[in-house]
Amino acid sequence: MDFSILASEFASLTFDGIVVGAIYALVALGYTLVYGVLRLINFAHSEIFMIGTMTCYGVTLALGISTSADPLTLTSFSLVFLLIVLTASLASGASAVVLEFVAYRRLRLMRASRLSSLISAIGASFFLTELFRILTESRNIAFPRLVDKEPLFVFSSAYITFDKLLVLIGAAVLFFLLNRVINHSKLGLGIRAVSQDETTAVLMGVNVSKVVSLTFLVGGFLAGAGSAFYMVFYETTKANVGFLVGISAFTAAVLGGIGNVRGALLGSFTLGLIQQYSSAVLGYNWRDVVTFVILVLVLLVKPTGLLGEALQRARV
Amino acid sequence: MTRKILEVNNLTIKFGGVTALNGVNLHVSEGEIAALIGPNGAGKTTIFNAVTGYYSPTSGNFLLEDKNLVGLRPHAIARLGLSRTFQNIRLFGDMTALENVSTAADGLNKSGLIGSLFGSPRSRRDEFNSRKKAEELLQFIGLEYRAGQLARNLPYGDQRRLEIARALALNPKVLLLDEPAAGFNPQEKFELGQLIRKIRDAGHAVLLIEHDMSLVMDVSDRVMVLDFGNKIADGKPREIQADQRVIDAYLGVADNDS
Amino acid sequence: MSNFVFNPRDRFGDWWDQATILQRSIFRVIVVGVLFALPLINNPIIDTPETSFESVLFYPLVMFAIMAVGLNVVVGKSGILDLGYVAFFAIGAYTQAIFGLYTNLNFWLVLLLGMGFAMLAGTLLGVPALRLRGDYLAIITLGFGEIVRIIAVNTEAIGGAAGLTGIPSPPPIFGVEFSVEDVRPYYWLSLTILLIFLWGIIRLSHRKPGRAWEAIREDEDVAAFMGVQTFKYKLWAFVIGGAIGGAAGVIYASQILSIEPKMFELNLSIMILACVVFGGMGNIWGVIFGAVLLGYLPEKLRFLTDYRILIFGLLMVVMMNLRPNGLIPRKKREVILEKS
Repeated sequence: MDFSILASEFASLTFDGIVVGAIYALVALGYTLVYGVLRLINFAHSEIFMIGTMTCYGVTLALGISTSADPLTLTSFSLVFLLIVLTASLASGASAVVLEFVAYRRLRLMRASRLSSLISAIGASFFLTELFRILTESRNIAFPRLVDKEPLFVFSSAYITFDKLLVLIGAAVLFFLLNRVINHSKLGLGIRAVSQDETTAVLMGVNVSKVVSLTFLVGGFLAGAGSAFYMVFYETTKANVGFLVGISAFTAAVLGGIGNVRGALLGSFTLGLIQQYSSAVLGYNWRDVVTFVILVLVLLVKPTGLLGEALQRARV
Repeated sequence: MTRKILEVNNLTIKFGGVTALNGVNLHVSEGEIAALIGPNGAGKTTIFNAVTGYYSPTSGNFLLEDKNLVGLRPHAIARLGLSRTFQNIRLFGDMTALENVSTAADGLNKSGLIGSLFGSPRSRRDEFNSRKKAEELLQFIGLEYRAGQLARNLPYGDQRRLEIARALALNPKVLLLDEPAAGFNPQEKFELGQLIRKIRDAGHAVLLIEHDMSLVMDVSDRVMVLDFGNKIADGKPREIQADQRVIDAYLGVADNDS
Repeated sequence: MSNFVFNPRDRFGDWWDQATILQRSIFRVIVVGVLFALPLINNPIIDTPETSFESVLFYPLVMFAIMAVGLNVVVGKSGILDLGYVAFFAIGAYTQAIFGLYTNLNFWLVLLLGMGFAMLAGTLLGVPALRLRGDYLAIITLGFGEIVRIIAVNTEAIGGAAGLTGIPSPPPIFGVEFSVEDVRPYYWLSLTILLIFLWGIIRLSHRKPGRAWEAIREDEDVAAFMGVQTFKYKLWAFVIGGAIGGAAGVIYASQILSIEPKMFELNLSIMILACVVFGGMGNIWGVIFGAVLLGYLPEKLRFLTDYRILIFGLLMVVMMNLRPNGLIPRKKREVILEKS
């Protein structure tokens, strides 16, 4: 256990933790929104993210940007990035809607047991991962460096680079938009109604199936956007990238309080920081173990998470 | 003065901002058939859930034969002699009628897994006893010919009665029935009333939640009325029927069943 | 299936119900005999390309079958979704590897130790985790499986990423030697273990534990109201499942001679789960059938092997949506009498 790195690199670790947390948040929101309306953990949400990353790569291929090319100018990058984000968001969003339709819809309408839905979710997750593993021939996919990553300025030990700022700003914009949707739109009203009390929502004329589909769409959209930021930041992906990012994002959602949007944000940033700090102290290898341990601890000690409310619903 | 088998003392249950039960005091005496009535949402099922250990009280307690049950888990309370049926039938659908009742009958014996695996004498005895008890109970309730059928394939009336047989397998000191007559026609309700009396005569006190006033009046020794988490009346059926507070709260409705 | 005029399952069931004890015993003896004789059959129809049929019989067939039986107790019978089952398999395998390489302990003792460690792990995981609801529990078991693997990868003392080699084989049993060249004794050994486990599980299923597990799966809350000690039985299901997985791991390691963490990935947990789901949740014969089918087909139809997981994933989605109870559901045989 080495605390010296933690001390000397504190600012850098903190800044990176927030950046990583922002990416996690975009994925975590998908988990939390779907959980809110369906009380179901969408296991395959991680693959929705992965599909987003693959789409980003596909766009660069289509645009003919090679991995060895020089970074783009700011204007070029803006246009290209916008294209990538939109395409990835659409791809992920569409995939999410299809996923819901194929793997969950029937089970929901049949009021099948939770076990059945979970198994279907896992099956879908594995199917998608394997599909892309076969398509990518198990290779790591390299993403071209689209923007120059020289530090714009340095704060203590932290290197503030353009891509990290992009992530932060982009995520902030998306959170703001999401907030408007959830709190000031009809869809948001539907989502909140179904999350609180599905039966009453139906009686009030809410089309639950439509709300569910749209929730998946929104969640997928956010994950797709997150994947674009992820690709610019990490510059690599592979078929099972969804697994680890997904576990982190899911842990973040649970940490903050599953079903709670603010919770997803809080949990994501907290987890991002914890991951960075623990990597410095314990070494990178143990990062995932730390994530799992946090997940286990939260579920055992305070399953409703930091911000979650106690759901005391009578089942008898 | 007959002994109080089940006592609920000043029971308060709050969920977040909602007070489901507000300092409720009630009791069921030995050999008594008591009824709990009140409008929907008054807290009747909440009391059942509380005394069977599903909800923790915010304050107050409940005693079974003077033993404090607060904090005990549902299966422990069941074994001590408090069992119940459910408003929406909740049988073990994919198990046969006999298995449903046997599972509850198992609750009274102590044999464990290892014993069952290796066929210890105690487990063999327990297995025999569970089966025998289950068969006797099915006979008691008139469902012995359904023993080998899956619970979910039984007709509605038989399902309701099977739930009662299952609850009886725990040899309860007090049997809690939650709307046992829901969906019954008058003939079935009459037979249910006879069954309830038969259960009482066999040595189990009964506390029933019901909306059907004719059944309540016919079968109960005493009626308690809940409204918005408060007990507003407690007395003989005729007295309750005439009580203005009760009428205001509830009995203004014609005695049609829901 | 019940719409077909000829329903083999019901026909068999009818015969079995009216068969005498002698008839049933003869049937059992014949079936067991055939199973033991399988490696001796040399028929191109059942042969598998690339790997010898006997090798396939051992792994994946019997190994999958044993693990499916174990996981069935947890998922199928009790309704607890366990996504980290491979961890028990790994614990058994590493026990055989470590104790086999560094101690002189008797193989049978190591087998018991492997099962013991797996049971211990099951208890440590189960005691906190089983209080949680289904989805959270599933995630935690997933995490557990991964943690075990990551620990194996990161701990040099037990081989790290490269694993351990030179694992000893079991000692001769009844004069039959266990060697590298011949996989058949391993098959017979694991078949015997499978039969023993089958006996135990079926016994438990027909008695109080079986009823308790079913009640828990049907409606856990109500089971508790009916006096079932739900936590105790859930933990037992978990521990038994773990013991069975651990036993499989010990035997597997003794045959394969070298193990590495890569063999114990999440994929294997999912494959075993697919066997249970596909074969028939809760139905012990169904899951064995599922294990055999899902183990055999990718070997027989070699082009499927690469797509195995793809198919398994798809299978799980399809099965849950179309036939949630599996191919051979655990439907009970009803006895319908007339009202007297």
